[in-house]
Order: sequence, then C-alpha cells, then structure tokens
Amino acid sequence: MSAKRRIEWAVYALFVVAIMIAPLIMEPFWLNRVAKYLVYGMLGVAVALSWGYAGILNLGQGLFFGAGAYMLAMSLKLASPTSLQQGSDRPVPDFMLWNAEPGAPTELCCINKASFLWLPFQNQWFGTAIGLILPVATAAVLDTILFRKRISGVFVSIITLALVLLVRLVVIDAQPVTNGFNGLTDLGWFKVLGLEFDPYIVPTYYLVAVSLSLVLVGARLLVDTRAGIILQAVRDDQNRARYLGFDVPAYQTFFFCVSAAIAGFAGMLYVVVSEFASPTFMDLTFSITMVVWAAVGGRSSILGACIGAILINTISATVSETEGFAEAWKAIIGLIFVLVVLYLPRGLGGLAHDLVDRIVTRKPASRELRVSDPSSQLAE
Amino acid sequence: MAQAALTIDGLSVDFEGFKAVNGVSMVIEEGELRVLLGANGAGKTTLMDLITGKTRSTSGRVFLHDTDITNWEEHKIARAGLGRKFQIPSVFKELTVRRNLEVASCKNPGVFANLGFGFGASAKQNVDEVLELIGLADEAHRIAAYLSHGQTQWLELGLLITQNPKIILLDEPTAGMTQAETHKTSLIVNNLRGRHTIIVVEHDMAFVREIAERITVLHLGQVLAEGNVAEIETNPRVREAYLGSKGIS
Repeated sequence: MSAKRRIEWAVYALFVVAIMIAPLIMEPFWLNRVAKYLVYGMLGVAVALSWGYAGILNLGQGLFFGAGAYMLAMSLKLASPTSLQQGSDRPVPDFMLWNAEPGAPTELCCINKASFLWLPFQNQWFGTAIGLILPVATAAVLDTILFRKRISGVFVSIITLALVLLVRLVVIDAQPVTNGFNGLTDLGWFKVLGLEFDPYIVPTYYLVAVSLSLVLVGARLLVDTRAGIILQAVRDDQNRARYLGFDVPAYQTFFFCVSAAIAGFAGMLYVVVSEFASPTFMDLTFSITMVVWAAVGGRSSILGACIGAILINTISATVSETEGFAEAWKAIIGLIFVLVVLYLPRGLGGLAHDLVDRIVTRKPASRELRVSDPSSQLAE
Repeated sequence: MAQAALTIDGLSVDFEGFKAVNGVSMVIEEGELRVLLGANGAGKTTLMDLITGKTRSTSGRVFLHDTDITNWEEHKIARAGLGRKFQIPSVFKELTVRRNLEVASCKNPGVFANLGFGFGASAKQNVDEVLELIGLADEAHRIAAYLSHGQTQWLELGLLITQNPKIILLDEPTAGMTQAETHKTSLIVNNLRGRHTIIVVEHDMAFVREIAERITVLHLGQVLAEGNVAEIETNPRVREAYLGSKGIS
C-alpha cells in the first residue's frame, strides 16, 4: 500500500471514530440533527459515485431518496398508534378516512380505489425491502434505456430532472393514497427485535452512523475494484473503453443502480430520524442542493462529498440561527459555493489530495513544471 | 499463401444518398501490414468505422478470420480480436499511465466478474513490458493528462498492444508528431509486425516508406489500386487522383 493510500484510509478511520464518539459530547437535540446531516452525507456519497466516478450528473437523485423515504414511511404510518384508532381492527392511515367518500368502508382494502396498495406495508420489513428495491429497479430500467441509447451528459441531467419533477407531481396529485402536499406525518417508530428507534435516542444515532460508515467504506472499496477503475476509464473516454471490449452501458447502469440504492437507503434513514416523508424530497431545489454539497466537498472523493454535505448543513444551521444572519444565510451558502467553484474546482476533497501529494512527494508544484515539457506544445 | 485475417466483401454505406464507402473489397492476410492511402474524403476513416462497428454498413460483409462480424456492437468486435487506435489520441486522461494499461489488460469484460481487486501478476508483467516497448516506463505514475502529444499517442498504442488483438487498425498514428517522434512510432509499429495483423491509415509518406509492405489506395469510396510502394508510386491512376503529377515526395 502506498503512503498516500495509507493516509487516505487513516482519514476515513478518523471520520468514522469522530462520528462514533459524537454522542459522548452532544445533547439529544443536536444528536438528532447531526443524524440528519449524516443522512445527507450518505446522499453526498451517492452523488460522488454517479457524478464524480461515472461522470454523469444525475439531477434526479431526489427521486431515489424520495422513493426509499415513502416506502418505509408507508410502513411506519401503519405502525403509528393513530392508525389503530380509526375504528377498524387493522391499522388505517388517518388521512385516508378524512378524504374518503361518505359511507366508504374503513378497511384498508377498499377505502378508495388505490388504498389496497398499502396492504403489504402492514409488514415493516416489506416497506424496508421495497424501499431499496424500488429505487434500484427504477434506476436499472431508466439507465439501461438512457445508456443503451447512448444519451450523454447534459441530456441525462435534463431527463432525470424532468422525471423527478414528474413523480413529485404524481405523488401530490394522488392525494387519496399519498396525502399529497402534506406527505406522511405522525409516523410510528422503526422496530428491530423489540428495540424502538425513537429519533431522539442514542441507538437511533448509531443506526445512522454505522450505516453511513458501512456505505462510505463500501463505496470507497467499490471504486477501487477493477470494475470501479474501468468505470473511471469509461468516464474519461467512453469510446476508448468500448474499443477495448468493455460493455460501457453495463458499467454505467451498474454504478447508477448502486448510487440509487444508497440514495434510497438514505431516504429510509431520514424517515427514521425525522418522522415524516414529504413531496419536498422530490423538489428541484433538493436534488440541486445535493449536487452543491458534492461540488463543495469534492465530487471525485467519496469522503469529500460526504463531509461537504455535513459541513454545509452544519454551517447553514448555525448561520441561519445566528441573529444577525437570519435573513442572509442563503446568500452566505451561495457565496461559499461560488468561492469553492472558482478557487477549488475539485472541492475540499481535491484540496486534501493535493496536500497529501505534497507531503508524500515533498516536491511542491511538480506537476505544473512537468507540463511545460517542450513536446507538449505539439498538442495543438 | 497465408490465411486471410480480415476479409472485406463489397462493403458500402449510404448516408442519405451519399456513398462514403462504395463496394470496397479487400483481403488482408495474417501477419500482414497494410497501409490505406487516400485523399481527404476518400473514405478511409469511414471504412475503419464500418469495420469496427461504429457505423452500420448498408451492404457488404466483414469477416474476422471465419467469423462474420458485420454490424456487431463495437465492444463485441473488440472482444473478437480487433483493436483500433483513433485519429485524435484517446486515453483515460485522469488515470495514471500504468492504470491506463491495466484497464487494457483486463481480460474479462463483465461488470460482476470485475468486482475484485487488482489486475494480477501476469497483467503486471505484461504492463511492464509494454511500458518498456512504448518508452513510457519513467512516466508510469504520471496522470495521462500531463503527457505530451507524442507520449499520448504512444500510450494509446500501448493500450492496443496490451489488449493484444489479432488485428490492429491505426488511424493516422503520426498525426501532429515531430520527425523524431514519427521515427520512434515507426519503430514501435515495426516491432508489432509479425505478431499482429496491422492496418494503417496514414498521410505521412516518410512514415509510410518506413513501414509499408502493401498499400491500398482509396478514392471516392472505392479501391483505386493495390500494390507495393514502387507499384503505387508509378501507377498513373493513383498519380492522377491523389499524388498529383509530382509523385510521392
């Protein structure tokens, strides 16, 4: 293992230790907040995989986050005490009855035409499983079509963007089954073997922290496999990779599916810590905000994008609650973004890589010197 | 007579009425080095595109040994044993030189087969040999984006050598090179002779003289003449169509 690689893994270890000891120094209110930021960090990982490593900007990552969130939220809604107090033997979501036609039955099967869709969600593990399966299946179908058709770069961004907005509209419009604009609120707690994950207790924080650590290390290892390296080759020159015999769409689709799975997983964790799912997850601004996190943190660095997400959210929370900045905090976040894009195009992760390079090689700015090789002037 | 490595039979493509390649037939033998000559627009690069699957032909067939590869997908043709170097040098710019060659050394094309780490000891040895051959051993840890133009061209040749296809198509491998770089490229190409069947599209006559055995001249999408350097130089139709009255200079 090279010195650079050892330093990189040491930084990962440091990050994992830091999020593991956070509960020792934080009060429950902040702990719940940080848990949410860690979920955003997981979204940063998903964006880094698709944008940084596959080189394709997905502006619809919110679709997968939303899909994961809604699927688990449906199960947790049925697990909520209020769902049992609707005058039926079996749980029924309260909003469904508010909107039901007069005289409609109060059984989940037939309150309205589509309410039967909720039936399997009475089992929490169905919601959990489908929360992963739905994003991955959607990504697999969508990306197989996009990449087989060789739709490139910005067009993928436009299509994914349009798709997330379309789904958002459908979710809002299907009010009888989704509670429309209001989303799913008043949820029950996620339960594993009798342990209830109240969002404000320490085990819930650890559920998120351990999940994030596993996703981080898993994603980092994945991009180091042969497939991960070939994916980066595809990003740099698709045609070259094709003519070396690689089935380019298969690589792109596979990594987009992994990215979708991570986003869906993040959506489920978000529901556990925030106790709601809402169509705002599929807002344009949310999907773009994820891209900003990854850009600031460094899209070609898994940990960088993750830390970028956590950092920006911590800063915006702190700034927006400081009296003098209450009005101006969005401008401050915008300013940070502009400065990073101008002066650190590879983000904080890129900066860290350069610093490590200098420490390891002890030859500052050697790259710039080498580029002025006389024969390079022939390039034009 | 040696076995045919690549057989092209009446290959044509019709771009809405314009026939960029029109009924081209040729047989390239195992181990041969064939040069394709032709003025701009003669259909050289289009012919390469048709052979490698980038463009779909409208009629005619292409055989790799006995396999009909007409209009296969590019990566399948590549796996069948046909490698191609592009006119504009194409390498993986954000990876190191060594990583570039490691990717080319990967024998299994599937995603799931590649979910392991490392490319193996035989790949390492292969990559080391290729680094020597293309003269980039000292640059192995540099990011490909920082290579000079000539070095980038050699790296792409190295990718092909590592891939080790039966047939190599080279599209203007010396474009934009200095004389010294052109000479080094001809040494690399000559080194491949015998081990691979090679087809070169080239304009640079100094380079053609250094490497050529047989030359096929294309003109307006059709084969105009075929022969060795001396025959082509003295062929009156070629002189008229491509070289002008002054001959090869």
